[in-house]
Formats: sequence, C-alpha cells, structure tokens
Amino acid sequence: MSLPQSLRTSITPPELEFIASQQLIEIIPLIAMEKTAFISGAFGPLQPPRRAKIPLWIAINLKLKKKCHIVAPEWLSVEFLQSRLDEELSEPGYSRLPFRYAEVSKVLLDVASDDIQNTDKIRSLLKDLREARQAKSREGLEELNRSELSLSNLSSMEINEIRPFFVHAMGILTHLHRDASTED
Amino acid sequence: MSSSSTSAMDWEAQYAAGVFEANTAALLRSGKSRKSRIGSLALDSDDEDQDITMASASASASARARPASTAPILDTRQDDESPISQLTRHWINERHAPDILPAQEDLLASLLDHIRRQSDAVQLLRGEPSASEEEHIRIMLVQMEVERVKFIVRSYVRTRLFKIEKFARFIMTDTTIQTRITTAERAHASRHAHLTDRHFHTSVLQSLPETQSHLDDTPIFMPPMITKPDDSRAVFVHALRDCPPIRFHEDLTLEMKRGHISLMPFSFIEQLLVRGDVELL
Repeated sequence: MSLPQSLRTSITPPELEFIASQQLIEIIPLIAMEKTAFISGAFGPLQPPRRAKIPLWIAINLKLKKKCHIVAPEWLSVEFLQSRLDEELSEPGYSRLPFRYAEVSKVLLDVASDDIQNTDKIRSLLKDLREARQAKSREGLEELNRSELSLSNLSSMEINEIRPFFVHAMGILTHLHRDASTED
Repeated sequence: MSSSSTSAMDWEAQYAAGVFEANTAALLRSGKSRKSRIGSLALDSDDEDQDITMASASASASARARPASTAPILDTRQDDESPISQLTRHWINERHAPDILPAQEDLLASLLDHIRRQSDAVQLLRGEPSASEEEHIRIMLVQMEVERVKFIVRSYVRTRLFKIEKFARFIMTDTTIQTRITTAERAHASRHAHLTDRHFHTSVLQSLPETQSHLDDTPIFMPPMITKPDDSRAVFVHALRDCPPIRFHEDLTLEMKRGHISLMPFSFIEQLLVRGDVELL
C-alpha cells in the first residue's frame, strides 16, 4: 500500500525529530565554509571561532564529524528547567516550554552532551517535567467532551503521545451523542 | 526566571511566525547551473518510486498550464515562510486530516524544480578534482538536504495517494472533493475505483442475487459500503493567527487566539485550515 500501516494514524517520533531538526541553532564552527545556498535558505559563512546560526541537522552532522561545538539553547539549562518544573508543580496549566523541546533536547543530549553543562541534572529535570506534564494530561481526560478541549502549551511529542487515546475517546463521545439525539 | 525566559522564548516567536527564517529568492537561485526548465521535472535518480513520477508529471503539467504568478492556491504567507516550511506544514496537515486537503501543485512544482537545480549543482561541483575537504563537506550537506526534501515530498504524495485509494469510489461520486485533487490524482482514483469494482464483481458480487449485487447499496442498520472521509474525527489544532469564533453548538463557542492549541472535530476547522489560519499538529 502507499502508506504503511504504522504511519496511517499518526506521525511517528522519528518524523517529529526530523521536523524539529529544521530549527536553527547556534554553533561555534571549527572549520571554515563559504556561504551556501540551501533549498531552505542561505547559511554561513562559517568562520571559526565566530558563532553562526544553522539548521539543527547540519549542526548535528558537523558535530558528529567533530567540526563544530553546539551552543546549547538557553532553555536547556538547569536554572531554566528547574524554574519551569517548579511552575509545573504549583500551577494548574502546562508551563511554557519550547514546542519541540522533547525532540531537540534528546538530539542534543545524545550528540552534543560534551557541549552542555550538568547533563545528568538536565536529564533528570526533563524526566520530572515529562512526568508532571503527563499526569496533567491524564487528569485533563476528565474534561474531555464531544466538542473541544484546549491544550495550550502542550508540546509536539506530548500531543503525539496522547493522540490515539484522546482522538478515540472523543470519537466515542460524538457517537454516543449522535445516538442519543437520533433516539429523541 | 523572567530574564532567562524571555530570551529562551525567542524561538516561540519564531515558531509562531512560521518557524523558519525567510529566504531571499536571489540567493537560492545563485546555484552554478541554471539550465532549468520547468517543463522537464523528471528526477534523475533511478530509485524514484511511482508516486513521485506521478506527482512531478502532474506538477509539470500545471506549471505549463498557467504562469506561476497567478497562483491562488498558494497562501499569502509565502513572504515570511520558506517553501520548505510551507510544504512541511502541508505534509503534516495532510497526515492528520481525515479528509483530502486541496492539492499544492504550484508549491510542489517549484520545489521539485529547485531539487533538480540543486542536484545539478552538486553533480557539477563533484566533477571538480581540486575540491578541498571543506568543499567536500559543503557538497555533502547540500546533497543531504536534497534527500531530506525528497523525503518530505515523497511522504506528502504517498499520504495523498493513500487517501485517494481509500476513498476512490467516493471521489468518483462527489464533485466537491474532485476540486481538491489534481488531474493525475483524479485519473488514478478513477482507475483504482474501476479495478476494485471489477475485482469485487468477478470474485463475489456476480454470484449474489440481483438486489444485493451492487456496491452502492445502502442497507438499513449497516454502514454504507463506500468509504467516506470521517469529518467528525478529532484533530489537534494550532492557531497560526487569531481566528474568528467557532460555534460548536447552541451554548459553546470558542475564539482561538494565536498560539492556542486545541483538540476538536475536523469539520469545525476545515475552512480555517484551508485558509491557512490554523495548522494541524
């Protein structure tokens, strides 16, 4: 078939990572490169040690070849994540995190852990955040009705995680309502 | 928290504004080879599967049919959104929408053309024997991006193809859905519907009594036999700008502000999606 079964209902985590890799990130290059015209735009020139902004996928590629250092985004730090975790635990809504924080932080921690400080602490904070937010999503299921559920500040990976269940549940509620109204 | 959070949220502003930085068309076109003609879009590598050739054939047909400047299908935000991020958005929308969305022929045509030009440039640069290591990395990155874009194009076309095959019979009976697909896609739907019809007929239907031997029967207490898009399926919506209020039923309306994320049935946001006010997540 034209689309494999596994891709029909939802987008997959590797695909989300693929999309997140189009975001720009700052690097400190170790090689020089002229300004280059890519399909997504012109990037460069790279002149060590001047910082440059390039798409994440290029940064990962250069990093794996040891041709650059990645500058960790400001939100990927112990202070920032700790403050968001405190907010997450004290406030009812989801705290404001970058929309693709899960994908970007995973890629960066996998590939460029030597460019990030306190990786162990960051890993555990990310895990705590994830769990706190997951718990909220589960509670949010109570508020599900047949027409609408607002989920502002939920991140892309989290949406993907709750998608199958929430979409199915809403479908059932719609059906129940339809059946009830036809019986009237 | 406040000082660090404001700068860290730069990217949210970026995301809301269409995720990726805008391009200068002049730079994009500064590749070494400019032999491109829109008419010949055939991708040169031999591993292209059929769906790509189908897309490029229809895309080139449309490109010839009308000048690129009068393209009502393309939304007005192309100034601040690069073609790649536009296609990525359409790809994700298509993946999540239960129905078939309007075709993006012109966008696809220009991107396929761009892919071809980039590939030509890579071929040309590869031939130079004196390339340094830096130059080598540069060529490899450009090549890699071409493959990434091809992946998006393929996945987009395959998603549409999947829906077209699934709803083939419905497409042939419904004229509004036909306005949203390309000529090539319509031809494919027609062939597919015809083939499955014939198959069902020879394998089962012809041996059934006359009253039950049609595919478009609507027996009571049974779901119809023609698969239709399920507009009531819920989707996750992200408002790209402030939207007019949506009325769900008598006592529930919702006005989505820019950046709002919500789960709701597809039918309520279909118009907003086509206008580009919202995207699916």
